[in-house]
Amino acid sequence: MLKVFDFFAHAKSESLWMAHFCTGCCSLEMAAAMGPRYDWERYGFLPTPTPRQADILIITGLVTKKMLPALLRTYAQMPEPKYVLALGACSFDGGPYNDSLAVIKNPTEILPADVFVAGCPPKPEAIISGMEEIKKKMKAGIPSAASEGGLWKEMRF
Amino acid sequence: MEGDEILMQNIKNILSSYETEYIEDYKTVWIKTKLLKSGDLLEVAKALKENGLRTISTVSATDFLEENKIEMNYFFEDLLTKRNCWLKCDIPREIELCVIDSITPLFVGASWHEREVFSMFGVKFTNHPDLRPIIVSQDFYGKTPFRKDFDWDAHEADIVTNMNTIVDSFANEELENDKKLDPHGSEMILNWGPTHPASGPIRLKVHCDGEEVLGIDPDIGFVWRALEHLVTKKDFIGAIVAVERLCFMDNINSMVGYCQAVEEIAGVEITEFAKYMRVVLGEVARLSSHMMGMAGVYNALGLHTVMMWNMDMREFFLDFLESYSGARIATAAIEPGGVRYSLEPKMLEELQKALDKFDATKEDIRSIFVKNPTMKLRGAKIGIISADEVLDYALCGVVARASGVKTDIRIDEPYGAYANITMDYITQESGSAQDRMIQIFAEMEQSVDIIKQAKKHIEAKVASAEFDLTKDHMVKVPKKLPKGEAISRVEWARGEVLMHLVTAEKATSPYRLKLKAPSFNHTMMLNHLLEGKTLSDIPLIFGSLYICQGDLDR
Repeated sequence: MLKVFDFFAHAKSESLWMAHFCTGCCSLEMAAAMGPRYDWERYGFLPTPTPRQADILIITGLVTKKMLPALLRTYAQMPEPKYVLALGACSFDGGPYNDSLAVIKNPTEILPADVFVAGCPPKPEAIISGMEEIKKKMKAGIPSAASEGGLWKEMRF
Repeated sequence: MEGDEILMQNIKNILSSYETEYIEDYKTVWIKTKLLKSGDLLEVAKALKENGLRTISTVSATDFLEENKIEMNYFFEDLLTKRNCWLKCDIPREIELCVIDSITPLFVGASWHEREVFSMFGVKFTNHPDLRPIIVSQDFYGKTPFRKDFDWDAHEADIVTNMNTIVDSFANEELENDKKLDPHGSEMILNWGPTHPASGPIRLKVHCDGEEVLGIDPDIGFVWRALEHLVTKKDFIGAIVAVERLCFMDNINSMVGYCQAVEEIAGVEITEFAKYMRVVLGEVARLSSHMMGMAGVYNALGLHTVMMWNMDMREFFLDFLESYSGARIATAAIEPGGVRYSLEPKMLEELQKALDKFDATKEDIRSIFVKNPTMKLRGAKIGIISADEVLDYALCGVVARASGVKTDIRIDEPYGAYANITMDYITQESGSAQDRMIQIFAEMEQSVDIIKQAKKHIEAKVASAEFDLTKDHMVKVPKKLPKGEAISRVEWARGEVLMHLVTAEKATSPYRLKLKAPSFNHTMMLNHLLEGKTLSDIPLIFGSLYICQGDLDR
């Protein structure tokens, strides 16, 4: 019986689709990761324009106050199991915009991320390796951080 | 007197018939003046417009808390004869008295700039046709975030209420739309965004009837980082981190603009080597931006090959930036006083590889995109911008030149080493969406040509030992700057970036930095261009305007 479940986890994790959602400048390196040199489709990743078919939500760097409701709505619309990848310094503590009060300093406190990728912006290789980490979590059956907690559950959006 | 001098004298004659504090020459192509009465503004603006200064680059305000005044700055430009006028006037700081005539009825391009000043400083513009807040999120409506005495921390203390304000305003908007529209009719308001694969973070409120677009109202500010406020919290070197994030696609040239302004106030002249390095790095960044911009448009059209080839070429240019600075994109390579790092000859080999890659690929790309039937069918007849519209809406860069307007800051007001570079205006004729793509490609070739010239010069000077690579890259800039102000214009990948830097006495950080970025004006054009077109034209026209949200929102 266990084997069968492993098979599903394996199949799910090897074709991860990400919601094509750009919140900030790290999306530029995400575009490079989709490009011919890094070509993340080799690993089964594909951007999809609708959240209904997406497995991963990528927080691409900074999240402004105006953008946050849209981000949470997108996450809510995604089917389970869903994971969150946070790119760059901004998604952890505001990064270079830490002093700027138009930007939310800790978006991952609101929507917890499963994997953080460091950098400003992170290199495409790092983004791909971050996605690989999510694969490992899915295979091991570890539930996503955002489904376990986070301020987003108490917020209106 | 030469022709240019007569034209400049004309402007001075106009200005001298009003009460002014001073009228003086500034740099080569500017006349700087300050009106004593803000009530004269409309008349002066009208006279300047009749004299050919049809374009308003930007409207910017500076808040002087101690002197209890707000200083307004207007930057009038004549893109054809290259004469410009920097007009100032003071208005009271008290919120009820903080009123000035709007120049939007005369200069349609000032509309959003005045709305921005209204949102940030609370300056009211009388007779403005559409004075709504812009850029700022809804919790800042009716407040003045960029004034020196605005308490950001107190505002942020109640983050939950602020977030609810934003959520409520979106919900209310939806309700109002439902009331406004006939439930049995076919008209609807479509939200194109806040994030769309073909655009990035912007929300276009598309009022449409079936496929037909009746009007577009762009809602911007989804990546508003308040950069202009952020730099005032940092020192002059730390500020480059914020300035380069104006837009990551071409970050080098925005740093060049800022550093030039700092150097002007400090009275520092950088070395010739640093000037040439700024040209090389700037053009590499411009190329990588153009490749990305072009890739985006063709991707939206479904022509993925052009995108893939462009992205592939771009990587080679990023390799050069990485070998020089250690970072592919966020290089922070330009600093007040020169360029941050010395150059090793090995790095130029990396650059040569990129140039070779471009030369090897460019004919392939040309063959599939110039003759491309899809682009011809879809792009040749839509999004047409006439030369008059370029002047009225203050469009610049690729978009302006594709409509046949000869404007390029690198030639009009040469900065750095551009005075020694051989280059000419490249223009197209019709100003259609297709022309803008052809223009981008032509400018890529021009940039490669400029890089080759600069590289040759650097290599020759290194060989003759006139450049000392170990120390020539930087001259010392004092940590404390005197009181002063400067404007600096650079030709950015997307057009003119105008930076207005103000410093206080013994300043360690900027007092005010205004960043005028091109996408702001280009987005203003959207409604005009898309009225009566179909929904499927939106990605193409939007993409061809070469808009980046980074410099749109700042």
